[in-house]
Amino acid sequence: MITFKLNGQTVQGEEGQYILQVAEKYGVDIPTMCHHKALEPAGMCRLCTVALFDGRRTRFVTACNYPIWEGMEVNTDTEAVHDGRKLIVELLLARCPDVPMLKELAEKYGIHEPRFKTEDDDCILCGLCVRMCEKMGNSAISLTGRGVEMTVDTPFHVQTDVCMACGACASVCPTGHITLEKINERITKREHVAAIPSEYDMGLTGRKPVYVPYAQAVPHTPAIDRDVCVHFKTGGCQVCTEFCGVDAIKHDMEDETIELNVGSIILSPGFEPFDPSKFDSYSYAKHPNVITSMEMERILSASGPTGGHLVRMSDNKEPKKIAWFQCVGSRDLNRCDNAYCSSVCCMYAIKEAVIAKEHSGDDLECTIFYMDMRTHGKEFERFYNKAKDTGVRFVRSRVHTIDPIPNSDDLSVRYVSESGELQTEKFDQIVLSIGLQINPETVALAQNLGIELTEGNFCKTETFEPVETSRKGIYVCGAFQGPKDIPQSVIDASAAAASAGAALSIARGTQTKIPEAVPETNVFGERPRIGVFVCRCGINIAGVVDVPAVRDYAATLPYVEYFSDNLYSCAQDTQETMTQIIKQKKLNRVVVAACTPKTHEPLFQETLINAGLNKYLFEMCNIRNQDSWVHKNNPDLATEKAKDLVRMSVSKVALMQPLEEAELEVNQTAMVIGGGIAGMSAAKTLAMQGYQTHIIEKGDVLGGQALKLFKTASGDDVQKKLADLTADVQSFDNIEVHLNTEIQNVDGFVGNFNTTLASGENTETLEHGVAIVATGASPYSPTEYSYGDDPRILTSLELDQKFMNQDADLKKMKSAVFIQCVGSREPDRPYCSRVCCTHSIDNALELKKINPDMNVYVLYRDIRTYGEKEYIYKEARQKGVVFVRYGLENKPRVDIKDGNLTITVMDHVLEREMEITTDLLTLATAVVPNKSDALAQFFKVPLNDDGFFVEKHAKLGPSEFSTDGVFLCGLAHYPKPIDESIVQGRAAASRAVTLLARETIHTSGTVAETVPMHCSSCKVCVSICPYSAPSIIEEGPFAGKAQINPVLCKGCGLCVASCRSGAIKLKGFDNDQIFAQIFAVNEAS
Amino acid sequence: MKIQSEKDLEVIARKNRLGIYHPETIKVNVGMASCGIAAGARDAYETAKANYNGAGGVQICQSGCIGFCEMEPLVEIFQDGKPRVLYKNLSQKKIIDAIDDYREGITQKKWILGQIGDPRSILEDNLENPQAKVTPYEGAPFLEDIPFYKNQVKIALRNCGYIDPDSIEEYIAKKGYLALIQALNNEKPGNIIEAIKQSGLRGRGGGGFPTGVKWATCAKHHGDRYIICNADEGDPGAYMDRSILEGDPHSVLEGMLLAGYAIGSAQGFIYVRNEYPLAVKRLVTAIKQAEEYGLLGDDIAGTDFNFHIKISTGAGAFVCGESTALMASLEGNVGRPRAKYVHTVEKGFRDGPSNLNNVETYANVPAILLKGAEWFAGMGTDHSKGTKVFSLVGKIQNTGLVEVPMGISLKEITFSIGGGVPKKKKFKAVQIGGPSGGCIPERFLDLPVDYQKLAEVGSMMGSGGMIVMDKDTCMVDVARYFMDFLKEESCGQCNPCREGIKQVLDILTDICAGKGKEGHIELLEELGSMIQKFSLCGLGTAAPNPILTTLLYFRDEYEAHIKDKKCPAGVCKALFHYEIDAAACTGCHVCARKCPQEAITGEKKKPHSLNQDLCIKCGICYDACKFDAIAIR
Repeated sequence: MITFKLNGQTVQGEEGQYILQVAEKYGVDIPTMCHHKALEPAGMCRLCTVALFDGRRTRFVTACNYPIWEGMEVNTDTEAVHDGRKLIVELLLARCPDVPMLKELAEKYGIHEPRFKTEDDDCILCGLCVRMCEKMGNSAISLTGRGVEMTVDTPFHVQTDVCMACGACASVCPTGHITLEKINERITKREHVAAIPSEYDMGLTGRKPVYVPYAQAVPHTPAIDRDVCVHFKTGGCQVCTEFCGVDAIKHDMEDETIELNVGSIILSPGFEPFDPSKFDSYSYAKHPNVITSMEMERILSASGPTGGHLVRMSDNKEPKKIAWFQCVGSRDLNRCDNAYCSSVCCMYAIKEAVIAKEHSGDDLECTIFYMDMRTHGKEFERFYNKAKDTGVRFVRSRVHTIDPIPNSDDLSVRYVSESGELQTEKFDQIVLSIGLQINPETVALAQNLGIELTEGNFCKTETFEPVETSRKGIYVCGAFQGPKDIPQSVIDASAAAASAGAALSIARGTQTKIPEAVPETNVFGERPRIGVFVCRCGINIAGVVDVPAVRDYAATLPYVEYFSDNLYSCAQDTQETMTQIIKQKKLNRVVVAACTPKTHEPLFQETLINAGLNKYLFEMCNIRNQDSWVHKNNPDLATEKAKDLVRMSVSKVALMQPLEEAELEVNQTAMVIGGGIAGMSAAKTLAMQGYQTHIIEKGDVLGGQALKLFKTASGDDVQKKLADLTADVQSFDNIEVHLNTEIQNVDGFVGNFNTTLASGENTETLEHGVAIVATGASPYSPTEYSYGDDPRILTSLELDQKFMNQDADLKKMKSAVFIQCVGSREPDRPYCSRVCCTHSIDNALELKKINPDMNVYVLYRDIRTYGEKEYIYKEARQKGVVFVRYGLENKPRVDIKDGNLTITVMDHVLEREMEITTDLLTLATAVVPNKSDALAQFFKVPLNDDGFFVEKHAKLGPSEFSTDGVFLCGLAHYPKPIDESIVQGRAAASRAVTLLARETIHTSGTVAETVPMHCSSCKVCVSICPYSAPSIIEEGPFAGKAQINPVLCKGCGLCVASCRSGAIKLKGFDNDQIFAQIFAVNEAS
Repeated sequence: MKIQSEKDLEVIARKNRLGIYHPETIKVNVGMASCGIAAGARDAYETAKANYNGAGGVQICQSGCIGFCEMEPLVEIFQDGKPRVLYKNLSQKKIIDAIDDYREGITQKKWILGQIGDPRSILEDNLENPQAKVTPYEGAPFLEDIPFYKNQVKIALRNCGYIDPDSIEEYIAKKGYLALIQALNNEKPGNIIEAIKQSGLRGRGGGGFPTGVKWATCAKHHGDRYIICNADEGDPGAYMDRSILEGDPHSVLEGMLLAGYAIGSAQGFIYVRNEYPLAVKRLVTAIKQAEEYGLLGDDIAGTDFNFHIKISTGAGAFVCGESTALMASLEGNVGRPRAKYVHTVEKGFRDGPSNLNNVETYANVPAILLKGAEWFAGMGTDHSKGTKVFSLVGKIQNTGLVEVPMGISLKEITFSIGGGVPKKKKFKAVQIGGPSGGCIPERFLDLPVDYQKLAEVGSMMGSGGMIVMDKDTCMVDVARYFMDFLKEESCGQCNPCREGIKQVLDILTDICAGKGKEGHIELLEELGSMIQKFSLCGLGTAAPNPILTTLLYFRDEYEAHIKDKKCPAGVCKALFHYEIDAAACTGCHVCARKCPQEAITGEKKKPHSLNQDLCIKCGICYDACKFDAIAIR
């Protein structure tokens, strides 16, 4: 250790360190231009010159490369030093007057105009590029020439083979003198070299060889791309290791083969976006303004390459007119092999159009060219309607060619309108809504594993085993099973986990370890001893906030016994050090000034627990997201703010008390409400995992709506399979089926529900830990299209019944008509019932099978045979089923005259009415939820406008409710076919198991508490609480006063705010504590 | 033959001393350093050689530079028992006649510069003066009495002009390699370093760092140590090192050998500019000869001391004289300096401890060791011991190479030795220390030549270039000239030097062109001060000296340029014009005849007139006028 004086302060550094390194450690800022941590210091820019007093005289030395020695005295900011630096900056500004970095620096020194003759160079000859190139193991460029003739160049100023165009020089160039373009043009002899395309940004931007794939990646650990990393080419570089504060980078690491012994495998390899480059007629590969929808996603994203600013790629101008082309790489056997529908593109195209308009204003014209608009998901049709209302134009046409307009960046599109006219229209930008496809690697994986694929290369599954592959023990979820959106993938994932878990349930808990508990220290009555840890977060915080100043400031605050700053407070070794410090210094309160508590509070609380402190004796203040990141341009004020935040936290934490968390046992019983396919699947899954399960069915038989179905689109005999499932469910000892039973009341809370069941006159109470709502839906009973007036007019389910009965009449019929969207997508019921298109087409094919000569017509609005259901649509067309589209404003008419059943429909293309006389009219009726307000009340779960239950999160929590311990599946969630019901039944069970498996649960310590003495018994709290936590004490001295069940309380604070008597306080956010914080801010002013 | 002992040396010395001092035939020593050759010495030499062709009892030999460049070619002619006569300006045409004249008893005295009363070197004072019994010529002055030579003390230049640089035997005859043999046989390396320390010898390359201390520090650090000789003499007008290398290369080799032995190094390098081809050639010969005698190479003089010397030629970058740049160049890299926070004596060439001295420093070493540290320390001032070689150039009568004891005043050098400014013009300043040195005005002429004293007035000892300026020298233009040189020679690495010098030059050019502005002087001072403090290497830190010293001592000239738009010296063409002073003009018509523009007209014997529109200010008329009738206005 060498001790010396830095600006009067005694500091220490290691032998061999340079002044700059030590100054950095102590937060003393010394400006540099030619210094790079990973490179040998060169002392070229001279900006880091400092005054050195060696005991006899003062000299000027460069801090970057002057080795420290015992007893020296360094001054980094004397007048002479400042004046010299200023003059250097002025000289450089004269050399390069237009370099932003210099202009900024000049401004810092108060230089407005250089007093010297200016040049127009943009290289400051810092030599970083040259040294970096050398570090790369290459030395393709160097400083050539002498004196004023000096430039950065290649030998003999010619292009060179040596340059690998790694771009390292450009990456360190502070002025923009060296760019990739320049490297291509002047330096390297290699083929055109571009930035490494960022996979996440769809190649719209570049990324580095060391990169985190995307901002939210888990784990959020950078990876080194071996294929482009210079070290793996030359053995040089390793610059990254110099920057890693924790020595985490090892270039000699080798790929390892890890063998895992597992009982189940779940495949979730996902999909790849279709590559439209081969569609020459779309000019995607050639024209920058033809982009894919994935690229559009990035452009619209705030984290995208344009920061969410909608611009087109050719000229960075805001487009005025954008078109989306649907079904690019989907529903297409002509130009690619993907006959299936990709299921998600219609919805994302609408979303992009709406967001684009949000970003660019209503002036932006958005047009979507489509074949069928497939918005068959929950709330999707509403969104589609809203998009139309906000001015998104929908054109039913498949466009063949995009013609770039010469001498402009615009594009011309020719298409045939719905009325059959050829139109030409100009667009600024065209988005290709590309489909999903399985990539060849996944296909190879499937071959290796020996699992069967469908004709679209998706994983083949059975309707009744929708997440099982053809090989036992291997499960599938997500888009590999079939093109699908996020909610469906999430449901799949839960189901696959449940299926895999069921198979492995006997091994549950055999490989867990219980951490050793540290006894909690009693700090009651102790004077606060606060430890303050200020985090540098690398340079995230320390780059702006003067961390040592904040740390030293913390030392001046009352009760602060310990203070320090860490490079990364969240690092494992820092955590261990903190644990030791808390113990050694006997700290009883801890403040961490770092990043966001949202992600890091639990981590630090864990540290407290490890040190034997109650985890609520902790306060975190966010000097990163709320300070250094937002006040980058104002470091002084940011430092002051950081001090304020620390002071506030210290004021609060001093008043913090240890809080208790109640531990509750979870009743290991589950209740499933509804005995349909979804309910039975859920029950079976729970039972297989070993949990006692009750099925509550109000009817007298299990099976639900499936009892009325003939077969599935993939040809399964529904009744046979349903019977198998029912028998299966009944065979489980731990499943108890309560038929003819309804729910009268629900008491209790997660883990401990008490449900009153009523069966006729009898009531019983069922104690259970979780509940699954699978209450299903019913078919719409139509009033339109003369339903009920003629026996030839049926609903879809009635037609199924005829099939099941093998009705002989069917064979004699000469003609059949299906009318789609009966009761669906109407103003009263604006949702799509999802299953009807497939069902009708399947039945149409069945009719054709029975009688190939029968004339079958399907009158539809949009055919929504999503995913691989598209194949039967194609088959139906091939087999002669006639599809006629109608509009909502022009619905078909049904006439019964002289015993003739006639349907009249307007043909859009012919613009003529068409009359069909038929023997059979099938109405594809809507799926209507069994609206259950009572149940919604019992479990405090919401219903949407259509009467379907509202899940916790439309995308990420589709099979559970916001209310803990209550789950959702089947038609009660939204109309869906059998396979999707089964999947969701399993998913709901899977989510339930995560709770049941825990056996005990902890409530939060941050809960509300009443002071009964102050309570005025107004009961506002009882009425306002969304979780039923407050109640009125019935007996004892405080009868009539409010109390709060800490188990139900979510700590939201509604009751606290609403209590007019001030009788409720929120633990951990007590008035004293909040006020202490607020008063601490005032101190600052 | 390999020399093993002092005795072996003495055998060779005795034999060759005869040839040097007592030649039986007439011996003609033609001064064949670059300066002499440039003046025609080679032609004279070849002519003489062809004429005598070994016959006629005349042997034609070569020697190095004897210093008085103004009088080149210088030829010494002597014979045993006769005076040793130094002939001046002995061109090809005159040499045969001169030899004949010498043989016949000297009638052409005007050809003679002087006769040498004592040809012994400073190391040979224990020998009897070989000329002691010779009757001198009447009428020819003794060299020792000529002002140019009188005040000189030749240590580094002790053999220059007296021996054949291509003959190791002659060097040995002048006590060459004796110091080495004595050291190897009798002294511990530490004692040698101690002796150098005691002598007070300081680096003659410019920096003036105590040589003994440098050697001791280098010896202290471990690793492969290197001895490097800096022969990259790049200052305009300075040629001290060249003369030593050309006149007495073995003295440098011996100095390096002694350094190698003292420091513990087995490898030496001489970094010499390729623009010194003759020096390189003589060094190559010298090294070969030393190796043949076993004085260089392995097992030197029968001891286990090994030392090799390699020559590396530089491409003439001024900055390569800077030690770190020199070593970088020596390593094969671009010759650019690095920060010397870790000294080269610790980590230099190939990261080994490296001792770098210049030619003159090494040449001093054998003399110090033979005659003792006290002897050397007995010359000079408190801080500056021994002698220093200067090349005296510029507006001075006796241009030449002089070696004087430290502490001698500038006036003595410039006026006594140098003979003052020609044409009796007014002395203005002397610029010392090369391009980065400073200009010392007349009022400091009594200043003793001493490292400290020169630094105190803003200049430096430098390597020994001394440029005298008279009243016709514009100091702004001088500063501009040096800045222009430095702009070309700055390595370009660091901002203060590269950008700073560029802007300084720009401002000076403006001032010289009459575009000087209020505030320029202050800006120059500001820039100068920053460049001095903030530059990376010695080139940069010394670069502002010319401007800072001229600003300090000749500020009025700057002010005249800027405020009055006048160049008082009549150099900056935009700022003056010539006029004919009618009162002084005799109408001799010389000016009109010489004027290339025919701008001067007038009848003979009547005052002439000058047409300003035609005048290009070439100054030919001004120089030509013997009556001071051309005036600068």
